[in-house]
Amino acid sequence: MLGVGRLEISDLITAVDAGSGARLPVRRDEVVRRLRESGDERAVRIVRRLPVDRDGVLDPGAVDRLLIGVHTELQRLSEELRIGERLVDPVGPLFDAIREVGGQNGQGGPYRLVDVGCGLGYVVRWLAATNALGPDVELVGVDLDAALVGEADRLARAEGLTCRFVHGNAFGPAEAATVYVSTGLLHHFRGPALGEFFRAQAASPAQAFCHFDIAATRLAPIGAWIFHRARMRHRLGRHDGVVSALRAHSDETLLRAAAVPGMRALLYEPGGLANPFCTTLRPIIGVRPQLEAPFRRALGRAARRMVGEEHFAGAGVVAGAAVGVEAGGAAGAGAGATR
Amino acid sequence: MTPAVPLALLGLVDSAFSGFRAYAGRDARIRKRRAAVRAALRGLAVGAVLLAAPALAAVLVLLTASDRARTRHALAVGGFGYLLPLCVFAAVVLLSLAAYFVLPFRAGTFAVVVGLGPLTLLRPLAVGAACLGAVLNGGGWCALLVGAVAGAAVLCVEPLAHRRWYRDAQ
Ligand SMILES: C[S@@+](CC[C@H](N)C(=O)[O-])C[C@H]1O[C@@H](n2cnc3c(N)ncnc32)[C@H](O)[C@@H]1O
Repeated sequence: MLGVGRLEISDLITAVDAGSGARLPVRRDEVVRRLRESGDERAVRIVRRLPVDRDGVLDPGAVDRLLIGVHTELQRLSEELRIGERLVDPVGPLFDAIREVGGQNGQGGPYRLVDVGCGLGYVVRWLAATNALGPDVELVGVDLDAALVGEADRLARAEGLTCRFVHGNAFGPAEAATVYVSTGLLHHFRGPALGEFFRAQAASPAQAFCHFDIAATRLAPIGAWIFHRARMRHRLGRHDGVVSALRAHSDETLLRAAAVPGMRALLYEPGGLANPFCTTLRPIIGVRPQLEAPFRRALGRAARRMVGEEHFAGAGVVAGAAVGVEAGGAAGAGAGATR
Repeated sequence: MTPAVPLALLGLVDSAFSGFRAYAGRDARIRKRRAAVRAALRGLAVGAVLLAAPALAAVLVLLTASDRARTRHALAVGGFGYLLPLCVFAAVVLLSLAAYFVLPFRAGTFAVVVGLGPLTLLRPLAVGAACLGAVLNGGGWCALLVGAVAGAAVLCVEPLAHRRWYRDAQ
């Protein structure tokens, strides 16, 4: 895969202690060295412009402002691509299925949706503003970046939205959820970290997960370039947008990594069943086995767009090779030395 | 009939969109229709001021011309030549916008990926095509001059509005 060696600048310019979540200093030279090793001179030039103190440590305030600015532009892309509606398309029926099964077992709501790696929490705030999942679904956003979480919280309060945001690590103690979701997070996890992420959620009491990431089509990098060029002003955002598309996991990689004990892994709108011009992000879904049938019923005709691991039966050698290559690739946010 | 009125209208509508683009990506609230409308009005105001430049250029060209009737004619035919590529561009933009707002989200994504996103990047090219149209239609250098000034004016609306109102905003 082309993008395996490429790094996202935003993954490198902040670091937190994996245990305490405390922010760690980041030396600009170190970031430059890693980017140079990956052969990305453009990224090096972007990072070189970031302010540092006398010891060469990146100014945390400037980094926070930059990342909030980039994420605000990122939200604009999510708005334009109607990510909220796209998420509700499978997650709405997923909650219907959970309500149905819960009702039969005498376990009603309330339920909780947790958006992992929520950034500025656009999805959570949009769900709160539209009440798209119903009043019995509590909405929570979690992110590793304290500045983004703080800004998400400020924005939610400014608009009086009923949702909350928590500073936390996707690999740390989990915020309990009925359904975990994410958008644009999975490509940050390389190698074994991807499977670990799914396994941790399967080991929790959650009923399901539904993680959206960039559909790894041939069109994705050029589409990302056009779209980020047209809609984003921050160089860092434009850079990371294209690298994200290059690093996006293939359908096979996602299905295999999500096939963890206790969850049935399903891919919604995989390549071949979806028009790449209409589906820029698609979710990998995991449901408790007893939920699959009611979930498919709740989806109705759309269930035909959803496949399980058997879809790739026979492609095992190729998929196995892909996982192997990615395991050897650069560590992203989830697998980084400090995260 | 003069192409000045449809050209001015097109320029103003484009300015309103430019104002919106200058603002978009700077405000992370969910409910922000009023702010978006205000941004479009700001773009419109900037465009109204900047579009005085091509109007002034046209007046100067006419005043300094040795044969005013001929120059007026050249500007008019050049204006129609300028208008044609812009109308085609505007029609594609409007079609994409209509598709985006009316159709379900998958088709809306299609309208963005194939239409609205690339079309934003193609705006300078549309202005170039309009200038070429002005020359090819017999507008000569004077139509080219006025067209180039008009093109530069509309392309400046977004950066100017952004710098004036939205550069430091989050
Ligand atoms: C590409 S951004 C996507 C943000 C948001 N979901 C969106 O769609 O706009 C990825 C986000 O994941 C967060 N992130 C990365 N690794 C994480 C981890 N291990 N735990 C929690 N959040 C993480 C980053 O801080 C960043 O905000």
